[in-house]
Parts: sequence; structure tokens; C-alpha cells
Amino acid sequence: DATQGTVDDCSPCPCPTGATCAVVPKTREVVCTNCPVGTTGKRCELCDDGFFGDPLGESGAVRTCRVCKCSDNIDPNAVGNCDRETGECLKCIYNTDGFFCDRCKDGFYGNAMAANTADKCKPCSCSVFGTVGGQLSCSQVTGQCPCLPNVSQRDCSACELGFFNLQSGSGCERCNCNPIGSTD
Amino acid sequence: PRPDVHPLPSGTHLLFAQSGRIEHVPLDSYDMKSDDAKTVLHLPGKVIIGVAYDCVEKMVYWTEITSPSISKANIQGGDPVNVIRSDLDSPEGIAIDYLGRTMFWTDSVRDHIEVASLDGSQRRVLIDSDLVNPRSIITDPPNGNLYWSDWNRDAPKIETSYMDGSNRRVLVKDDLGLPNGLTYDSQSSLLCWADAGTHKMECMHPDRGDRRKIMEGLQYPFGMTAFGKNIYYTDWRRNAVVAVDRYAAKESDEFQPQKRTKLYGITTAYAQCPSGQNYCAAN
Repeated sequence: DATQGTVDDCSPCPCPTGATCAVVPKTREVVCTNCPVGTTGKRCELCDDGFFGDPLGESGAVRTCRVCKCSDNIDPNAVGNCDRETGECLKCIYNTDGFFCDRCKDGFYGNAMAANTADKCKPCSCSVFGTVGGQLSCSQVTGQCPCLPNVSQRDCSACELGFFNLQSGSGCERCNCNPIGSTD
Repeated sequence: PRPDVHPLPSGTHLLFAQSGRIEHVPLDSYDMKSDDAKTVLHLPGKVIIGVAYDCVEKMVYWTEITSPSISKANIQGGDPVNVIRSDLDSPEGIAIDYLGRTMFWTDSVRDHIEVASLDGSQRRVLIDSDLVNPRSIITDPPNGNLYWSDWNRDAPKIETSYMDGSNRRVLVKDDLGLPNGLTYDSQSSLLCWADAGTHKMECMHPDRGDRRKIMEGLQYPFGMTAFGKNIYYTDWRRNAVVAVDRYAAKESDEFQPQKRTKLYGITTAYAQCPSGQNYCAAN
């Protein structure tokens, strides 16, 4: 308040250097109005959209705002790609998931960090007949689906040699062929 | 009565979102009066994406993604009122039907288009299939049409439907990249879009399908709005509002706010509602 006539009439803005501030008339709250590049918030304590950090060190060490780190598995045309404080990735693409979009999402397998998008995460496509409990997820790395007894293949889509009736939904049954009259 | 907030003078102006603020630039005929640009609303800590204007009650509506919500405030400096705060993930584009008193929005995580009354009641999902990255949405209230863009990298498209979601059709799907911005000018009946992938601005009459290029070499358009002969768009690379003269097919002006960060949605706040009857009024 510059009208009181004391040396304390004007206080410095509680904002980083270069920022200006204003007083909310109703609440007398002071709000920074021109935060440094990449920062925002009442005290310039937050990072802009697409960045994360803790520019004032409000919950620990000072971390300057950095671009979202999501293993190249976000789209730069999207908004709200990561949590502005923790950096948790919120909009993973290419079927990836995880804090840094660093693993395949449920039901997919492969290498989320692969350079080529085609090599990233592929659908498990587990066979509904050959998989335990009709499960749709598989091993993150190998893509192996959990197979019912005597069922083989990555996607549990075939019976082991000498077994048949995958469609039963409870595993494959032994052929029981007579060894004398059978080939192979 | 808010910090750095000023009542708006009469006349038409632009409203756009930038880093937790809704900024205002008055238009003097078609020129942006950059020196009179002011903040209408300061919401520190929020990330505002879409903005829309209701010319009847002179309210600005916006979508926000940090605590996903839709809010409104009188542009004369009223306090923000939350309209929708539940069951939203990433609300982006928002559009007002000033005749039917409803609002429409896109959600890029739920991959929905929803509608609700302007107070948030009577909410329902309008479109919930074949959407990947829905973004911009606009209304044509006199004709009862809705238009939206989807920047799906594998199959970007611009679609239309009636305001009840029926008669859905794809209007444009070829030679699109990232159609972020969309606008409809009711005077010329032209639908225009700005594409951050092809870097082009194009227009067409939705009924005739006569697509034509307005400009090439845009840098990174995001939001877009039409006013008379001009189209204004926000640009992520330039952190600016760019004015394009539609007939001269060239850039006529640029406004770069002091704050150097991304600009999102933009809309034209008309001094008066455009004349026109509700398509239902006669029925």
C-alpha cells in the first residue's frame, strides 16, 4: 500500500527475480504475475505444461523444470504429458505404460525402449482356449502366455506333439494312438 | 476484483489461454490492439486448454487439465464457477451452443465427445467410438451442426454430426497431419482448419466439399478462431497469436505476449450474438 507514507509501504514481490506481482484485493493475497520461462503458479513454484520439477524446492531439493522424460513414448502434440512435479508420464503411447512409459502395458510385450516403434510393444494375443483362466496378459519380455497343460507356443495356440483338443479350454488331451498302427 | 484482471470494454475481442491465464486482446475492426491486451482471468497453477464464449451471458468457459474440470466466469471479472469436475480425464476443446444453451467438449483420454447444459446438468456422452485424439470442437448453432477434429497420427480426420450426435460423417481425411485448430464462420458458411503436421490452413464448405488451401508454412498451430475476413490462430513455436487475412491469403499481424510459453485455445468474444434462429425454433 503506497499511500501509508512509511518506508514499508511497498514490499518486494515474493517471486523469483524478474517476476512481477499483484495483490488480490479481496483476500490481500500476493500472486506472481510474470514468472520466469518454464515456471508458473502463485509463487512461480510450478512447471509449465510439458515440464516437470520443483523450481523452488518446496518438497526437497530444487529441481529446475525439465521437459517430460517419457522414453520417447509420448506425443509432442499432446497436452498434459507428465505430472508437473513428479514427472510421472500420463500419456504413454505405442502401448507403453509405467512411470517413464518404460514398460509395455498389460496385454502387450516387447521392449518399450526400442528405438524403432515397430519393435516396441506387441499385443500378447494369447489364445482364449490355450491360456490359463483365459488370461490376456503375457510375460513382458518374452511374450509367453501362461499355457494350460500340454499346450505350447508363445500364445498357447497349439497342442504339444501327441496331444489334441485345444478347444476343450482345459488343456490338451493325449492322443492315445496305437504305436503300432500310427506313423510318426 | 482479481489480480491483474480488468473488466472488458465493449466491442469484439479475442480470448486465449496461456499458462493458467485467459488473456484478452481487443479488436479494432480486424486489427489486434496489442497494447490493450490484458489478463481477464488469472488461475495460477492451472493448465487451461480450451476456451469458448457464451455471447448471451457474456461468460467465458474453459477446460483445465491439472485437476480436470470445466469452469466458467463472467468476463467482466466474475469469480470462476466450476461447472463439471467429475468423470473428466483430459478435457480439451470446448464449444457453446448459444441458442440451445448447451456446451460440448472433447476428452482425449476417454476419447469421448460429451454435451451438457451450461450449468453442467443433463450431461451425456454424444460420441464414444472411433476417436483417438479428439481435440478441437465447434458448433454451428443456426444449422444445428457440430464439427470436431481428431489428430490420430494413423488416421487424422475432421468430422461432423448434428448436435444430438446423429448423422455423423467424416468430412476430411486425406492429406491431413495434425488438425489441431478448427473454426466455422457462419457468415461465409466456411469450415477452416489449421494443421500442425502439414503446416497448412485450409477451408471448405461442409455441404459442398470444395476444399481449398488458404495458406502454407504455418509453424505450429494449436487453437483457431474466425472473425470476418480474418482468422486468428495460436502458435506453439512462436508463442503468439497470428492473424491471417483469409482473402489476401497471408499473415497480417502477430501478437506475442510478454510471457514466453505455449498458447492454447482461442475464441472470438463477439460484442453481440450473431443473429440467427435456433434450428429447432421453427419446429
